[in-house]
Amino acid sequence: MSTETVSGPVRPAAATGTRSMGREALILLVFSAIVLSMPFWLPLLGGYEGLATKIMVWAIFAVGFDILLGFTGLLSFGHAAFFGGAAYVTGYVFRDHTSEIIVAFIASQLGVLVLAAAIGFLSLRRTGIYFSILTLAFAEMMFAAALAIFAPFTGGYDGLTMRTTPTLFGMPMQGLYVFYMGAIMLIFGFAVARMIKNSAFGLMLRSIKENPMRLQYTGVNVWAYKMAAFMISAHFAGVAGFLMVVYEPYVATKFLHWSTSGEVVIMSVIGGVGTLFGPIIGAGFLMYFENVVQAAIGEQWKLVLGLVFVLVVIFLPGGFVQLGAMIWRATGHKVRERRHNVPDMEPDTQRERNLG
Amino acid sequence: MADVQTPQPETGAPPPAGTLPTGEAILQVKGLNKRFGGLQAINNINLDVAKGSIHAIIGPNGAGKSTFLNCLIGLIEPDTGEILFEGKSIKGLKQHRIIQRGIARVFQTPQIFPGMSLTENVTIAALSKRDGEFRFNPVTPLNASNSATEEAQSVLAQVGLADQRDVEAEHLSRGDKRRLELAICIAAHAKLLLLDEPTAGMSRHDTNRTIDLLRLISEKGMTKIVIEHDMHVVFSLAQRVSVLAQGAVIADGTPEEVRGNPKVKEAYLGGAH
Repeated sequence: MSTETVSGPVRPAAATGTRSMGREALILLVFSAIVLSMPFWLPLLGGYEGLATKIMVWAIFAVGFDILLGFTGLLSFGHAAFFGGAAYVTGYVFRDHTSEIIVAFIASQLGVLVLAAAIGFLSLRRTGIYFSILTLAFAEMMFAAALAIFAPFTGGYDGLTMRTTPTLFGMPMQGLYVFYMGAIMLIFGFAVARMIKNSAFGLMLRSIKENPMRLQYTGVNVWAYKMAAFMISAHFAGVAGFLMVVYEPYVATKFLHWSTSGEVVIMSVIGGVGTLFGPIIGAGFLMYFENVVQAAIGEQWKLVLGLVFVLVVIFLPGGFVQLGAMIWRATGHKVRERRHNVPDMEPDTQRERNLG
Repeated sequence: MADVQTPQPETGAPPPAGTLPTGEAILQVKGLNKRFGGLQAINNINLDVAKGSIHAIIGPNGAGKSTFLNCLIGLIEPDTGEILFEGKSIKGLKQHRIIQRGIARVFQTPQIFPGMSLTENVTIAALSKRDGEFRFNPVTPLNASNSATEEAQSVLAQVGLADQRDVEAEHLSRGDKRRLELAICIAAHAKLLLLDEPTAGMSRHDTNRTIDLLRLISEKGMTKIVIEHDMHVVFSLAQRVSVLAQGAVIADGTPEEVRGNPKVKEAYLGGAH
């Protein structure tokens, strides 16, 4: 059988785990240049400075989400809990304690740590759609609690309002300062995600998406790796939530709403799950659409967005990144095939038959 | 790399098929029982598997063979009885902990990581041996010079898949997927390998190749328990055969002894109506 010719795509030997440091550095350099120069080129496309900061917020959220959905294959519908949770802690620190962002940052990350440990521990007892539903349920419980029992702390339906201007060692953080803080956080987060992708830890996460049962039967504690991925992505969401409040010192109840969780899922799918670049592009696209395109075409923007989403899912299951790959191939370059499914979501009949 | 291509029978070669193995037991099963509702799936099984041997378990459909295997790896918790691996109880342990002790399982449908290269497939197993059940090491990049990747390359060479190491596993033929799954078990340094119908659905040619491969890894001292329907496989490989029927061991011995046993004939004919 081994003499049989194999029809599948063959990877260049260098791609099997070996990624030269030089290539990584180049990717990071180009990425940083595009991100850091955004306040200069975004206005040319009809955007504005504040939009660039919002894109940073959502891009950080989406990169972290890709570690969970794209690498590990776990679809969480409750990441608003960490985005909103961190936003509320940050807002609470600003309103009642100090305007120092470092204090707020540490407090919000501690909050996410506790929250993610609890929700992850409970939700990861199940896989596939049940995991998604559990995360959704926990996030909705937090949303309900913020409006009712915790209303004295959260401001209920009004959200958390404050008159503070966030400061870094006494220096007010506004406008471009917030953007550059966000940009540095995004570049750092992106570098961390790439590092994970190329590590032994990342290989384990990717193999969970491929075949969790085989991994379990290779002596690996699959649950522990899932939990680690869940915690990491929750912290990314928490950083995004924190940054959102620094950008605009106000915490909206919407931050905890399920639609926030849904938005990051849409960004990931539209951009290209598992590619890290894709979700960032998706975040930029969605923010641009919500702000610039909305201003141009009015209320129908959601209709148009829905249409774009449907078209992408049907014709470009790999998201915008797939479009890029198609163009690249059409111009005579070699591209490795990617699969775009999330096996953890599909009941595997073969697998069940084997265990019977 | 060249020397790993030719396997060396350094650790005591197994006795040829048909000779009852002697020596210490790597696995001891004592008084194992499992009941599903009104069905006694496992009925007081006592079994010793000698270290380094190939032990076949045969029996008609529904005899409890797969249930027995599932008890050994912790997928099904037996009601009563004891399972000792290398003298220590593994009953009630989590599945990955049992695997970490040195047991591996091959499934009826080869279970591999379909979208990953063969090197990655086997590296995962080598990492599980090196790093244990969990290790948070997101910083160090996984280079080709990594000890786990090197090990993966050498294991792939042993099973004859070195040429295809960069191919994604889903593109392999069924027989080669089986080889890959065995490579995963070798890289995890399994001491006891459980095989559930390793040649089911294979052509005679593929079956013979698989038999050769299983013999090859026996020479490395790996003990095997094989569930098999194909008598050709059983008689080519096994030193010892246990026959299960309705959850109980009804015969046990060398393949020749078992073949002549009237109870075995009856069980198979009884199961065929």
